[in-house]
Amino acid sequence: MKHNFYMEPLTIRKEALGDIIKDLSNRGYRVIGPTVRGGTIGLDNITAIEDLPVGYGDRQVTGGYSLFKHERPYFFGFSNGPDSLKRFLNPPYQRLFAIKKRAKGFETMIYEYEGSPFAFIGIRACDLRALHILDMVFEKDPFYQAERKEIFIIAVNCIFPSNTCFCPSMNSGPEVKYGFDLLLTEFDEDFLMEVGSKKGLNAIEGVHHKEAAGADIEKKRGLIDSSSKSIKKTLDTEGLPTLLYREFENPWWADIANRDLSCGNCTMVCPTCFCNTSNDTSSLDGKTATRIRCWDSCFSVNFALVHGGNFRPSRRARYRQWMTHKLAYWINQFGVSGCVGCGRCITWCPAGIDITEELMAIRISGKRR
Amino acid sequence: MNIAAPFEAVIKRIKKETRDTFTLTLRVKDRAIRKEYGFTPGQFNMLYVPGIGEAAISICSATWREDIRHTIRVAGDVTTAISNLKGGDVIGVRGPFGRGWPMEMLKGNDLMIMAGGLGIAPFRSLLRQILREKEEGARYFLLYGAKTPKDIIYRNEFPRYGEVFEVLLTVDKADPEEYWKGDMGVVTNLLKKINIIPEKTIAFICGPEIMMQSSIKELINMGLSEDSIYISMERHMNCGMGVCGHCMFGPKFICKDGPVFSYTDIIEFLGEREI
Repeated sequence: MKHNFYMEPLTIRKEALGDIIKDLSNRGYRVIGPTVRGGTIGLDNITAIEDLPVGYGDRQVTGGYSLFKHERPYFFGFSNGPDSLKRFLNPPYQRLFAIKKRAKGFETMIYEYEGSPFAFIGIRACDLRALHILDMVFEKDPFYQAERKEIFIIAVNCIFPSNTCFCPSMNSGPEVKYGFDLLLTEFDEDFLMEVGSKKGLNAIEGVHHKEAAGADIEKKRGLIDSSSKSIKKTLDTEGLPTLLYREFENPWWADIANRDLSCGNCTMVCPTCFCNTSNDTSSLDGKTATRIRCWDSCFSVNFALVHGGNFRPSRRARYRQWMTHKLAYWINQFGVSGCVGCGRCITWCPAGIDITEELMAIRISGKRR
Repeated sequence: MNIAAPFEAVIKRIKKETRDTFTLTLRVKDRAIRKEYGFTPGQFNMLYVPGIGEAAISICSATWREDIRHTIRVAGDVTTAISNLKGGDVIGVRGPFGRGWPMEMLKGNDLMIMAGGLGIAPFRSLLRQILREKEEGARYFLLYGAKTPKDIIYRNEFPRYGEVFEVLLTVDKADPEEYWKGDMGVVTNLLKKINIIPEKTIAFICGPEIMMQSSIKELINMGLSEDSIYISMERHMNCGMGVCGHCMFGPKFICKDGPVFSYTDIIEFLGEREI
């Protein structure tokens, strides 16, 4: 994807982000950004910069997450929390349509897009890749497309990656290269801001800014390089997808199944996992019903159930389905890996299962056999 | 038209086929949708009973007919609810979905249809099509296996198919109370009774997965090439448009890449445990 910068980089004061947030709200956007919630940094409604987790950092390890305070009041001094854009564009619980029974037949009322687009603040490179992937998955889905079309994105270059991150392996970060309206790189005193679209340009009309100094661009480069170097976790993509197609019967899958709780946390926090189930809920008198689409997970025991049998009764098969879909099938389906290297599935796995290590184990035991 | 929402269709006729199957004839209510609606043999619809849910059912009517037919086996909640409907009742329909039989392959080839049980249903529109426009000089075979003679679906239609097809029927076991002069045993046994020209035969198969696997094996033994075999697969369908993930079979979404696949497209995955 090509770079899409509208003008030379700018410098803005940190507080000016508050003006941009206010301006976006005034233009009718639902502004969503990082905020401290339940001991994590989630994505939620933002009305002012005070809502942002200023000064917070996070520690993420395999199966663990905690917050701490930086000595400096960084605006984006943390890595991704459990939420991603999918929570908004493909919500966990979405009404598709309602029907009302008549004497003969039924009336259908489709839940149309309400017309106030999301503006997302603080989106990382990995999540922009995930957005690009969801765009392909939901290409023909009218509900997703309606929400997606008008969104506004303020991205940030990720300079505080966590221990579970491995975006360089997936070639998806930490540098933001496309898919934003505005892009921020956080310095100690101010933001370097780049404009990626006409919409972005309009949004900073009333915001005080100045042209960035050449040294600032160097500084950005340096921050991204050191961020990249600080990411130690890797996922070896060599030989995918065919590697996993050879390993359906690798005994290591059963080893994983012994540790796996089949809770589906990884699929909930994954920014690209899209599986869902649509069900009808009906009123007690049976006269009205609503079709609701809910997130589901290939770890659900009945996910592949049909009348007469379950295609994936074992945890072994369900974990294999998840990882093989993410790292292999996805490439056949959409031309890219389903993994963006955000590391959420590693942080949020209560059993401490690490996709990068399990793939390595499959690779090594496959070679030995 | 939003393909995520159903349109209304009136049940014109219900025909009992066997002890657990029946055929619905549906008339789409909205005139514009009725005119616009078109499908390829082998595609399916999602049938909807308001407040109960949906089931994926293959379309079995002739493509040129305005009314849509579905042969349904009573299995889960939705099909049970459908079986309780009466003529004149209204049902919801979404579709058509998926890819049907590769009709372009019929040109210049002989066709071998192998069906097991309800697997005959996705062939009915194809059978009608071939009765109408058969290829000059082509040979057509229809091999069908059912549990018992009483479980043979479309039984009264076979004489008509027999005018164009070499029809061979077999049952797992013959009812003691019924006179049965046909074969007994698995459908692949019927292959021994016919002579085919493997280089110019294409095979379309639909039935239980194990039946399709053994049929493929037999056909390849007889000299058919892997790329001349097509099968119709079944998995749990929920959305019908490849966004829910339920029907994934290896990297394929059965609902949008299938249900009909060339054997070569799924050869790596067919027969894998719990795929």
